[in-house]
Amino acid sequence: MIKSSDLDPNFKYEIANEPGGENIKLCFNCTGCTVGCPVTEIDTGYNPRKILRKALLGMRNEVLTDESLWLCASCYLCYERCPQDVKITEVMGAIRAIAQRDAKAGKIKITHPKHKFDTLFINSVKSNGKWYEAGVSGMFMFMTKGLGGVIGYAPMGLELFKKGKLSILPHRIKGTNEIKNIFKEIEK
Amino acid sequence: MKLAYYPGCTLHGTAREYDASTKTVSKIACIELVEIPDWNCCGALEAIFDKELSMGLSARNNMQAQKLGLDLVIPCSICSHNLGRADTAMKTDEIFRGKIEKALGNKYKQNGFKIKHLLDVMVNDIGVEALAQKFKKNLKGIKAVPYYGCLLVRPSEVSKFDNPENPTSLDNLIKATGAECLPFSQKTKCCGGNLLMSNQDYAFKLTQKLFDEAKASGANCIVVACPMCHMLLDCQQSAVEKAHNTKIDLPILYFTQLIGLAMGLSEKELELDRNMVSPSKLISSIGKEEPKVEIKAVPKVEKEAEAAQ
Repeated sequence: MIKSSDLDPNFKYEIANEPGGENIKLCFNCTGCTVGCPVTEIDTGYNPRKILRKALLGMRNEVLTDESLWLCASCYLCYERCPQDVKITEVMGAIRAIAQRDAKAGKIKITHPKHKFDTLFINSVKSNGKWYEAGVSGMFMFMTKGLGGVIGYAPMGLELFKKGKLSILPHRIKGTNEIKNIFKEIEK
Repeated sequence: MKLAYYPGCTLHGTAREYDASTKTVSKIACIELVEIPDWNCCGALEAIFDKELSMGLSARNNMQAQKLGLDLVIPCSICSHNLGRADTAMKTDEIFRGKIEKALGNKYKQNGFKIKHLLDVMVNDIGVEALAQKFKKNLKGIKAVPYYGCLLVRPSEVSKFDNPENPTSLDNLIKATGAECLPFSQKTKCCGGNLLMSNQDYAFKLTQKLFDEAKASGANCIVVACPMCHMLLDCQQSAVEKAHNTKIDLPILYFTQLIGLAMGLSEKELELDRNMVSPSKLISSIGKEEPKVEIKAVPKVEKEAEAAQ
């Protein structure tokens, strides 16, 4: 049951204020996004229409703590097909941004590992200017699956290394200051 | 034709054979590539939660390319999506442009700067017919399905060169090499690349669907134009086989490797030995007549009886 007193009527405006979330209010819930979604095809528990509907109703906490928020594969099929130009892929990004902010402030807990991977990835870009594949993947495996995860990932890493496709050390660009400035300017 | 070149992180790592084959094939197609100086990561799809950050990181690369005074070509579909999207924002969103110009202490060139995917350049700027004139070897024997994936043709407001639902540019290029191009209804379906680290089982299920249909169509290889698609289909193929207890054994070629073979380039020059699934059997099948297989029709009743036993 949905209790109207628990709803946050400002949630849709909060999303619309987030870069990428601007068009959420255009959604009239036609289900076009969900019908073509490749992830829904393999897991009906992932339902982008439901996420959008809940967000528009103001079910803030439920949307932000829903694990399925992290299942969007960013394939842009719904973005392409949406008759209302909601730009759903980017709306999902905007909702994730709010969830990450709330998690950082200790208001909610994000358990899905995608959040962890994205954060490690972006941090490595922040410090090097490029993503450090071996480091980020290894660290992610360790954080989510422990030492066993790293060991499980090692044969693939070794194969890639033998083919000259994986570098042990990170590559750093010269303009790391410029990268830091971009982060600073965006975070303002 | 002289173009600025943005390889992106993968082409200097897991997709180095795409980088090598892009360079050799471009040379023959009379495209001079100038790698942009000190480029950075575009944020890939991992920056999806921060659109401005993703576009900001990408815009820096565009500005590095603009310093060369050249249009920009990108072989990776994710990078070309990100840098293309950032270009539009830098030209239309004054507030965003202000932030990035302040961060980088430089002005963004507003006119006469274009960003294109390598496939777009090959098919539309050079042209399939002009490319075909450089072909020395007929690739008859290769039966390929064209796999476009997601961001090569979607969203159409960023990638404007082909039909987002039923693209044909890669089909035409495959046909021009003499290889057979088979119909593939999964051509723009997602490979699950973005879920590989966080939901591997989901990613593998999506990849398996592509393999299943490619096999059912009778293909002996899949041709791709994105390093992330290649990562799933080629690099992870053995892992998919293990997870689903099945045999796939399907070589995955970058389109540059395919046209490189048609240009008569060697396997070494195209770094075909760096593909994880060995394409040597496929390459030796080029030009060979296929042994005729006699298909014996089995009546349905008989089949069912067999299954019941």
